[in-house]
Amino acid sequence: MRAEALKGHLDGLILATLANGPAHGYAIAQLLRDRSDGAFDLPEGTLYPALHRLERAGLVTSAWSTQAGRRRRTYNLTRSGGGALRERRHEWQQFASAVEAVLA
Amino acid sequence: MSWLGDFEAELSARGVRPAVRARLLAELADHIACDGGAAAADAGTSACARLGVPREIARQYADELAADDARHGAFAAFAALSCAAVALVVSQITLGRFVGYPGFDHGFSVALSLPAIFAMVVGPQVALIGGTLAAWRAIRRRRATVLAGAEIALVRRRARVGLAAGVVTMSGLLLYTADFIGVVPAWWTALSGGLGVAAIAALLAARRTLGQGAQTVVFASGPSGDLFDDIPPLRRLRGHPLALCLSGALASGTAVTLAEWHAEHSLAEGLQRGIFEAVALTVGFALLGRAVGARR
Repeated sequence: MRAEALKGHLDGLILATLANGPAHGYAIAQLLRDRSDGAFDLPEGTLYPALHRLERAGLVTSAWSTQAGRRRRTYNLTRSGGGALRERRHEWQQFASAVEAVLA
Repeated sequence: MSWLGDFEAELSARGVRPAVRARLLAELADHIACDGGAAAADAGTSACARLGVPREIARQYADELAADDARHGAFAAFAALSCAAVALVVSQITLGRFVGYPGFDHGFSVALSLPAIFAMVVGPQVALIGGTLAAWRAIRRRRATVLAGAEIALVRRRARVGLAAGVVTMSGLLLYTADFIGVVPAWWTALSGGLGVAAIAALLAARRTLGQGAQTVVFASGPSGDLFDDIPPLRRLRGHPLALCLSGALASGTAVTLAEWHAEHSLAEGLQRGIFEAVALTVGFALLGRAVGARR
């Protein structure tokens, strides 16, 4: 899938990925790719600006940790991030069912 | 040059501040290491396909950061100005209720009291306009990921005007407090001086917050918008700055005249202060109208 098509949904997809638990950037990119069967293969450098944006908005928090001798930044969903995710899911369901109704 | 080196150069060129840049680069370095480093051995096509085009990512990042910084700065300015407003109100209410206002010529010198009173009357109005307009624009545009460079400049300018006026007001309060040492009780001097100093510290901290990210180069283009976008009922006055200024002067002058007439039981005194208010607003509009987006 083209990165442009993902643009408007990237924040919601990241929040959904973090709903399963804390993760670092590389793991988030892998989860997105795996859970979409490779459809969401976005340029991975774009993930970090999105994560920083979500953090500035208070939807995720992050902290440095050391894993296997490597220093990495792990992201966590906040309470308001969970709320934003529920809102985005609801919006998506409404949108998807409306499109489905028209296309079908 | 490696992809990471290329990206760092792009972030530097866009003025992304060093701490933010270092964190972003450290995260991407870890990402590349997780990937075996193959994708970023050079800045060629394969690295760009895997990670993205450094210039585009840096540009997007800088635009988003600048928008967030400007909004954050506007909110910080508004919060600091609120603290200054509380300091002014508390000092004046306690003076009026428990001590009584001394005559303006009962202190050390009218050369101190008159500029102090002028600053305490005019400063808060400019601070209210600048700070409120900055915060209001930041609230209105809170969901926008990116703001045009001109709009960011407008938000920053409004906040700077508000903060400068806040500092002038609090300096006036400190001058007033110093002028009447010995005339008013020591507890009031301590209270008013303490509140004034604390408020100035808050205003300077907010100025520092507002300055954060001021070096970021914004590429998003578009109009800045103006006062009439922020307050739609005023739209019919767009393009008529003289009418806007006269309407404001008339409204505020009338309000002050009526309030002072009621408070002082003297129409003459009410008119005197009302006219001063109208003139001050007109001068303020001429000097700062463009800075806050009230005229072109």
